Amino acid sequence: MKKPLAALALMKKALATFALATMLTSPVLAETVGVSMALFDDNFLTVLRNGMVKMAEDMPGVDVQVEDAQNDVAKQLDQINNFIASGVDAIIVNPVDTSATQAMTNAAKNAGVPLVYVNREPINVNTLPDNQAFVASNEIESGTLEAFEVCKMLRAQGKAGGAKIYVIMGELSNQAAVQRTKDIEDVIGMDMCKFIKIIDKQTSNWSRDQAQNLMTNWLSSGESFDAVIANNDESAIGAIQAMKAAGLDMKVIIVGGVDATQDALAAMLAGDLDVTVFQDAAGQGAGALNTALKLAKGQKVDKKVYIPFKLVTPANISEFLSKN
Amino acid sequence: MTDSKHGVGGSTYDTSKRSWPNEANVFIALLLIVLVFEGLGLLIQGNSFLFDSADRFDSIFNEARLKIIILQVSIVGIIALGVTQVIILGGIDLSSGSIVGATAMIAMSFAQVAEVNGYPNPKAIFLKQGWIDLPVIIPILVGLCCGIAAGWINGLLIAYSRIPPFIATLGMMVTARGTAKWWSKGRPISFPTDDFMLIGNGFGGWMPVVIFISLAILFYFILKYTVYGKHTYAIGSNEEASRMSGIKVNRHKVLVYTIAGMLAALAALVLSSKNLTAQAGMGIMYELDAIAMTVIGGVSLSGGRGSIVGTVLGALIFGVIISGFTFLRLDAYYQEMVKGIIIVGAVVLDQWRQRRAASRS
Repeated sequence: MKKPLAALALMKKALATFALATMLTSPVLAETVGVSMALFDDNFLTVLRNGMVKMAEDMPGVDVQVEDAQNDVAKQLDQINNFIASGVDAIIVNPVDTSATQAMTNAAKNAGVPLVYVNREPINVNTLPDNQAFVASNEIESGTLEAFEVCKMLRAQGKAGGAKIYVIMGELSNQAAVQRTKDIEDVIGMDMCKFIKIIDKQTSNWSRDQAQNLMTNWLSSGESFDAVIANNDESAIGAIQAMKAAGLDMKVIIVGGVDATQDALAAMLAGDLDVTVFQDAAGQGAGALNTALKLAKGQKVDKKVYIPFKLVTPANISEFLSKN
Repeated sequence: MTDSKHGVGGSTYDTSKRSWPNEANVFIALLLIVLVFEGLGLLIQGNSFLFDSADRFDSIFNEARLKIIILQVSIVGIIALGVTQVIILGGIDLSSGSIVGATAMIAMSFAQVAEVNGYPNPKAIFLKQGWIDLPVIIPILVGLCCGIAAGWINGLLIAYSRIPPFIATLGMMVTARGTAKWWSKGRPISFPTDDFMLIGNGFGGWMPVVIFISLAILFYFILKYTVYGKHTYAIGSNEEASRMSGIKVNRHKVLVYTIAGMLAALAALVLSSKNLTAQAGMGIMYELDAIAMTVIGGVSLSGGRGSIVGTVLGALIFGVIISGFTFLRLDAYYQEMVKGIIIVGAVVLDQWRQRRAASRS
């Protein structure tokens, strides 16, 4: 009877010693950050993600695990809960839907895990708990810079007597699309730009192909117009392709986009695209990672960090050619 | 008109007494939808949908509108030609859209041009000499091989391991999409050579339509008059009877799915060429649009019935709806809801007419 009990006690001791030894020898300073991206196949978000990953690779002891939420709100919440369960030190979220962030904030708050929102402004940004923050650019700037520049260009062309434009919207469930479109309408509401009239606004769901088909449909109605303002560069490029196929002169028609992707800059160098707005993807990613690491260490950070948009025109394009 | 070969899976009725083929119903639906848009256009805007009210073209029709109606559905139409054969066979293919994405990424990597506006191509995957500025036949072959490989795997899984087609192609859908994203870590691939651009933009922009219609005519004759076609209908109507009468069912299934994969790859080449870029998210939901076009065209989801003509008409209905919405300036928020209602309406109408024809004879 004594032998099995003694053996059991010895085993327990051995196990306890082993566990203690493992804890002491593991790297205490290794920080894991869980990242949930809305999409892996979006041009801009890929640059953001790569910026974060690269920065983490350069920092010893920082481990970044990136997941793809595939534009699915439910999947994103599951990923955050999974991160919490695996004991990450901080979470970075690029929200699929900016109005569905309260659930994610609550989950992280209840578990005491710091959370940073990146690139898309969550609806609860003003009521974030102490260990949560937000790093992005303000979409009010992007659409306003773009529309205002188009307005100035139309004036310079002598069209201040009246100009007609088309607006190509992004995916209607994205805050960026809704805000940028609102920015365009606000700019047109100003006295200086009241001469502009929107003929029609439709969505291309951020896609180049859909924008190309949409523009071709508009062209088939034969209505004359002076400019096309798109919510993103891909749509602007699609519209340009359609207009070129129809034989329109791109030097006369003003086209605006947002993002300053490489494809867009090439189109600008070729004289087709007139305005775009640079969003510092790498800057946002790095800022988010830094903020997350600070929160993980328990340091204080700014709740809202806005990284500014920059207007890109043929005049200053050379500054941006290597950025995105 | 005494085509009794087109048996409906299970039900038997004498098709020789039917006064007109199924596809005529689809054509009538198409005409009705066009008339609705024409009428609404005249009422709301005073503009004509199909006719050239501003006298911009030589003919009485608005040629630009007719062109975009068929052009915007040609790429999904090419996919739908393959999906038609798969559905007639009695299966289903959910992976077409993902095959488009993966093929576009892989093929475009071999089609890139070395210099853009004097700078080296910022999106080049293989910037080394020997891998860039390649003759156009290479990306075409690479692309078609991707589609053939994916379709072949689908076929093998479905025929030999008895996995339901829904599950097997669902697995391919997820895997292929992952491959598309992995290929360049999510970065788009852009700036193809001039030769590659012809695939999507040749013949003054008509190339996608030319490819779609040529393939439609080709597969129409194949399905109607060759042994391959007859076997496809037979297996779709009654697989066990086909097997017992000596048809090599498994081999045939693999062949049909391979062809569907190849057609999806061809659609990818046209799509990436037309847009001068390949993105990992290309083709999302294309498989559902292709299936919808096929089903609206009168192909039965239980197999054994349908034709290429119906699918082409289904594609035209889609094109008319898309252009019609833009023509009417329908608020973007309503468009998808209305599109769903029209799709279901067209199929319900078709089913009702068939049941009436069956009960009459």
